[in-house]
Amino acid sequence: MTIRIETTDITIEDALARRPHTVWISPHLTLAGFGPRHRLDPGVGPRRFERARWMFDEWVADQGPIRSDGPAPSGPYAFASFTFDEESSPSVVVVPEVVYASGGGSSWLVHHGPPHQSWGEAPLLPSPVQPDRPRFAGSSLPDHLWLEAVARAIKEIEAGKLEKVVLARDHALWSKEPFELHRVLNKLHSGFPECMVYLVDGLVGASPELLIRRIGDAVSSLALAGSARRDADPVADRQLGLELLASKKDLHEHTLASASVGRVLGEVCTTLDRPARPGLLKLANVQHLATAFSGVMADPHHVLDLVGRLHPTAAVGGTPTTAAVDMIRALEGMDRGRYAGPVGIFDAAGDGEFAIALRCAEVSGARARLFAGAGLVNGSVPEDELEETRIKLQAMLSALE
Amino acid sequence: MSSPTSTGFSELDPWDEALLAALERNPQERLLTLSELAEASNFSTTLLEVVIREGFLTPVQEDPEPLFELSDAETLKAGLALVEAGLPLGELLDLARRTDTAMRPIADRAVEVFARYVRDSVEANASSDEEAVKKLVSAFTTMLPATGRLVDRHFRRLLIEGARRRLAGDT
Repeated sequence: MTIRIETTDITIEDALARRPHTVWISPHLTLAGFGPRHRLDPGVGPRRFERARWMFDEWVADQGPIRSDGPAPSGPYAFASFTFDEESSPSVVVVPEVVYASGGGSSWLVHHGPPHQSWGEAPLLPSPVQPDRPRFAGSSLPDHLWLEAVARAIKEIEAGKLEKVVLARDHALWSKEPFELHRVLNKLHSGFPECMVYLVDGLVGASPELLIRRIGDAVSSLALAGSARRDADPVADRQLGLELLASKKDLHEHTLASASVGRVLGEVCTTLDRPARPGLLKLANVQHLATAFSGVMADPHHVLDLVGRLHPTAAVGGTPTTAAVDMIRALEGMDRGRYAGPVGIFDAAGDGEFAIALRCAEVSGARARLFAGAGLVNGSVPEDELEETRIKLQAMLSALE
Repeated sequence: MSSPTSTGFSELDPWDEALLAALERNPQERLLTLSELAEASNFSTTLLEVVIREGFLTPVQEDPEPLFELSDAETLKAGLALVEAGLPLGELLDLARRTDTAMRPIADRAVEVFARYVRDSVEANASSDEEAVKKLVSAFTTMLPATGRLVDRHFRRLLIEGARRRLAGDT
């Protein structure tokens, strides 16, 4: 068996129209997976990232030589989605038989199946039936009890037991028809073009938060924390952005998140650039304080090594990390599953991109689970956090409608 | 309605003073502390604080501690019944905020209409201040609960109409 890499003139639109079962779309790289899936189970615990790398390296070695018809940029690829909590399962690594890739002005196919399995034979599936609407099926913790949990967490923060914690909540949904993942994917892609859009083993979402991108010895990351709503009136919208940039509470929350990223990247980079103050990232429904990092590593760490070092950042866990994760386990009343965990792609050379799985749903047939979280610091107000998560949940709900 | 005074404060006409008195609570009514209200309504203190911060519950007395009317407990229980029936608290608060935003200008307009067409008319036609006071307080105490009933009935009708439309269109 061999892994073949061939250039192709198929466009991204054509590829996505063929309903790939696994997708990664970022400003740099689009991957779409077709055909039978080889699944790797990295298990639980802090070494699951390392195990995922070993398992994929072993799988690649078992495939025999890699044959390329030209200067194809990279491949083969694995798609990965890890649970937020290292003790939760299942994290998943998926290696599709055929992967369409597009980036840097060229497109190519990576396939490892038998010779007859080629792109041209990938069938177009019939159009889905008119979808039913998403219907509410409850939450792991009713929101009035989640509000109580938020109030308790804020008291702990005020008492100095920790600086920040991110508490999330969920909505379970059901429908009379299976949710059509590609409709969701397309809606997210068109609604949030600045985001990384992903579909990995039923986890579908659009995340603005780049955990890490590694290309050779170059790394980049985008820390987001502190947010405000958008306004249809440009003047009011600008004012909201200015208030966010001046908000001590949001700046403190953001500083904790960006510090956790800066600390890790500072350990592995010889040079690390970041702006002195955060800027604004404006998405369709929300604006965030954002700090972009770019650096050059002294030694080229595998992207999964970097993921393991970074996760969980203070943007989804808290500060200090251990106390925050303990509080999340104690107060959230749910298992986050793969929500707020790393999701992305990596290749055999150790390059890759990972986002934090935010603005997402875990979908299984006619059932789905949506998530939203809010960062709590000194000065946070419980009902404001409830409202922030309500708006975030609505944004994801509208993608499922 | 009022005339300027040397202190800059307004001095109310007798009938407006009487109206203001009609707006005041009954001094005999028992008031509840925050913890008593929490117990009477089955609300947690955290939830009560949220409702107060949102402006949906206002203490009638602040000093030396916030005190609330007994009827507040019944209002809170009604809210709790909605939450216990399955309405998420976040959605209830959102509905409450929308209701507040929508009804404030209507309430202001209703007060304006009362002042213009009821109070001014009584003032113009009463044979004495005493008669004006009596007529105005009587009108007010009749109109306030009547307005409440009208709004309640209308909103209930809108809810039922909305529910029927939804049921007719749903599969």
